[in-house]
Amino acid sequence: MTSNLPASIHASLASSTVSVSEPSHWLHSPLFLITLTLLAYQLGQTFYRRTGKIFFLHPLITSSTAIASTLMALQVDYEHYFSATYLLHFLLGPATVALALPLHRYFHCVKTQATPIVATLVIGSLCAITSTLWLADSLGASQDVLLSLAPKSVTTPIALNIIDVIGGSPFLTAGVVVTTGVVGATVAPLIFQLIKVKSHRIQGFTLGLTAHGVGTAKAFEISGEAGAFASLALGLTGIFIALVLPHVIQWFV
Amino acid sequence: MLKGLLVLLIFQCLGEAISQLSDIPISGPIIGMLLLFLALQIYPHQHLTSIETCSTNLITHLPLLFLPAGVGIFFLDPEYLNQWPAIFVSMILGTILAIVITAMTMKLITENRHDK
Repeated sequence: MTSNLPASIHASLASSTVSVSEPSHWLHSPLFLITLTLLAYQLGQTFYRRTGKIFFLHPLITSSTAIASTLMALQVDYEHYFSATYLLHFLLGPATVALALPLHRYFHCVKTQATPIVATLVIGSLCAITSTLWLADSLGASQDVLLSLAPKSVTTPIALNIIDVIGGSPFLTAGVVVTTGVVGATVAPLIFQLIKVKSHRIQGFTLGLTAHGVGTAKAFEISGEAGAFASLALGLTGIFIALVLPHVIQWFV
Repeated sequence: MLKGLLVLLIFQCLGEAISQLSDIPISGPIIGMLLLFLALQIYPHQHLTSIETCSTNLITHLPLLFLPAGVGIFFLDPEYLNQWPAIFVSMILGTILAIVITAMTMKLITENRHDK
């Protein structure tokens, strides 16, 4: 075994030297594609902060655009990119399990405010699903699109898990969920002013329920209390929609 | 950090096993999350710091983790492309409706409770 190890390292070194003459080889490697993804993410975040957090320059929008353009320029298949960066996608599993922590930390709020929290959770989540599906259905969206839109207000790892169960396109869902988060976090403060909702608890809970992680980040900018209620709403909505969506979706498709 | 990741993976495995062995239409990681939540409620201090370090890191960088899937929006099948107007309009109006109804519901219920 020990004698094999240097040999394999040598082999991989040799293959990387060979690929210098054929640039497409190393530009298609997991090493390059994971580096590209991390770099785009870092630059996207820095750019977002430097430009004063303009909503359509959200790091997710800029970094995914940058990655997609690079892939097109280098003629890398999307399927190839996805399998090369699978390591990052894999971590969504443990990240979903990790959402138990904020839920655990803020669960005491559920005990003291059970009625408003549970009622809002049920009404808000069902409204988030049915309003979108009803609109999309009346605008003539196909069944596949309806399935992919259904979990849009849920945090991405849970939404992708739901898509595994009900069907639909994971790529469309990922894009739709991210856009929903960015749109929700941007328009929510304006809506709160318009309908005169001042309580930070209500603002936070609404942001977490309708705009998942992006909304939760926005809620933490409002106040710690808003952030706590957003984290709570994010976890509860994820679980509630994962439980009811497989049944609710039958009304539409 | 590593111990925390191990705990998360063990709970994901448990969730996956339950999801595979039963007919529940819920995926493994979500069952894993529910199990971990229950475990934390029952034993609040067991390995909490290492789980917390790892979880906070993963949750902070969630956007990075969904980039591989998110980039797929630029490479969609042509069958979805002609449905863009329906997708876009329903997504934005649906989100606005959901925000209004959620905030109003919670406001009405909280105010009624204070009146009593």
